Amino acid sequence: MSSDVVVDIHNVTKKFGDRTVFSDVSLQVHRSEVVAIIGPSGAGKSTLIRCVNHLNSFEHGTITVLGEEVHGTEDHKSRPSRQTLRRIRTKTGMVFQTFNLFPHLSVTENVTLAPMKVLGLPKDQARERAERLLAMVGLSHRASAYPRRLSGGEQQRVAICRALAMEPEIMLFDEPTSMLDPELVGDVLDAIRRLAQEGMTMILVTHEMMFARDVADTVLVMADGGIAEMGAARDVLSRPRTERVRVFLDRVLRHTASDVESPGTASSITPVGGSTG
Amino acid sequence: MLSLWGQYIGSFLHALVTTIEITVLGLAVAAVVGSVLAAMRSSKLAILRIVAIAYVDVMRAIPVLVLLFIAYYGLGQVGLTLSGVTSAVVALGAFYASLFAEIFRGGIKSVERGQHEAAAALGMGPWLQIRKVIAPQAFMAILLPSTNEISNIIKDTSLVVTIGVTDLMSQAYQASSETFQPMDMFILAGLVYLGLYLVISRALGRWELSVQRRRS
Amino acid sequence: MSGLGLYTQDMLRGAVLTLELTAGGTVVSLLAGAVAAVGRMYGPKPLRALIVSYVELVRGLPAILQLFVLYFGLTQFGIDLSSLTAAFIWMCFYGTGYAIEIFRAGLSAIPEGQHEAASALGFGPITSFRRVIVPQAFTLMLPPLTNFVVLELKNTTLVYFIGVHEIMFQARLGAGNSGNPLGVYLVAAGIYVVVNVALGRAGAFLEHRAAAAH
Repeated sequence: MSSDVVVDIHNVTKKFGDRTVFSDVSLQVHRSEVVAIIGPSGAGKSTLIRCVNHLNSFEHGTITVLGEEVHGTEDHKSRPSRQTLRRIRTKTGMVFQTFNLFPHLSVTENVTLAPMKVLGLPKDQARERAERLLAMVGLSHRASAYPRRLSGGEQQRVAICRALAMEPEIMLFDEPTSMLDPELVGDVLDAIRRLAQEGMTMILVTHEMMFARDVADTVLVMADGGIAEMGAARDVLSRPRTERVRVFLDRVLRHTASDVESPGTASSITPVGGSTG
Repeated sequence: MLSLWGQYIGSFLHALVTTIEITVLGLAVAAVVGSVLAAMRSSKLAILRIVAIAYVDVMRAIPVLVLLFIAYYGLGQVGLTLSGVTSAVVALGAFYASLFAEIFRGGIKSVERGQHEAAAALGMGPWLQIRKVIAPQAFMAILLPSTNEISNIIKDTSLVVTIGVTDLMSQAYQASSETFQPMDMFILAGLVYLGLYLVISRALGRWELSVQRRRS
Repeated sequence: MSGLGLYTQDMLRGAVLTLELTAGGTVVSLLAGAVAAVGRMYGPKPLRALIVSYVELVRGLPAILQLFVLYFGLTQFGIDLSSLTAAFIWMCFYGTGYAIEIFRAGLSAIPEGQHEAASALGFGPITSFRRVIVPQAFTLMLPPLTNFVVLELKNTTLVYFIGVHEIMFQARLGAGNSGNPLGVYLVAAGIYVVVNVALGRAGAFLEHRAAAAH
């Protein structure tokens, strides 16, 4: 993890109408760092990550992504120019909770569309890239299938390929496994883990605490309109400093883990090889 | 009756060309204006939205015949003298634009939000998003109501009998006063209209199937 | 522009006839359409086929063609209808075809489960129809029915051609005599807009009331 700051979120406030989702949130993400954002529903975790690639605008503060600055002020919501947006969105990739694959296109077409039309890549190069990525997640045999024929786990892995095909410098994951059946979660987490190992900078909103502890460098806990706690993954998750966070983690861990784990144990998720799901 | 039909079928089919001409041109105008209106309807500028809503609400309350007369008899007064066919195209186009605007709007709405977001997150600009992601999906929701309106436009072209354009309806009307067998002539015209409708709905149906097949 | 006022008066007088025709045509069409719709859905096969053909014919052919058939076409068989009679019969004939479709669509939109639930509760077919199916279908059908009335009203414009003194007839006279066709037709358009928007509001009000009643 270098000291190079690639995403700088500085004093950002987000409102929906009169309701303040979060206020004065700051976070710095360094190159190759993996930041996991956890917290109760409605705390604004997804909203925050979507402010990074500006799928949501924000009221106040500055977000700088790889040198591109987006400002918001009291009377003037953030409104980046088209070029700025394009630069930010081609350098960041996003994976959604609901996959959002394009149903009218095949798997390969889903993955090659943006590189061809946004980056101007020639067709054969785009296809090569797609083939490589699909092989990496074990879905080469699904290349010409349509999304509706794929399981949730397969769709999400295709979605990851689609985002990676743009060769982004930062990957944003918005609860990538929340909509998946438990058996399918493993394959997707494997793909994400591999990305982390290869040094991809990632911001990951997730409920998978074990995974977060395993893969993340930094954990951010969002609650009650702000950051409840932030620090090294092991610290926050095993020895939380605030009562609020401790209560939350207790509740969640009791919910997800059938056996209580002591800090330092390896993740209980065993990688499932090949193309299940 | 049949011998009369034999005599007149030629001129009826000839007049059918005018009917088809007005239909196609009117549809083109309606589709273009309709999509502009649909785009205005979801614009961020309130004034554009209001104009689009007003247009649709007002147009739908006006009978097509009134629009036809305004185009043919009225516009000449302000220096814009339109031919019969042009007036029909303008009137039908303006009216059906309001219907298509609603159809397009409904079709676009039917595409879930996540699709817009995924396309945007990949760096696609709004125009690219619409072309490659939104429109293809909206297409299916738009097809059925559009087919309905196409058949309605064909029937409405018959209104030009009131302004003397030689379409199928006028031809039948004329023929009925020539032959003193109005019923025979109208039945023939009816058959031609039904024939046209069948041909078009079959063609559209086959096109829809081929699109669906390509997608699975 | 003062001349316009005179023609407006004439058009408004024509509007009375327009409204009368619309009201009469709507009432008859809805009654006949309701009955025929029931026949269409629950009647014996030949009856159903007949009604289906009727509906296809009315909806597939241009309205003005159907008007001409009644007014001009029937003369071939010695039947000479007056303008007003032909116009009224046409409105009923044409309207019924569309009304049947509205009722049919509304009735078939009620899920089978409702029929079953009613039967399971011991309701006979007529009672379950009256007390369970129709009330639900009614709410569903209000929007298309409002549209229907507006459609009937807009259709009245066609009957000017056969000499009925409704709005368009007066408008044509006014357009010719005044030398200001644009003005006259715009006023005519205005009258239609006012009436149709009012109808639309009335329909929305009824929908509101029907929804609130649940």
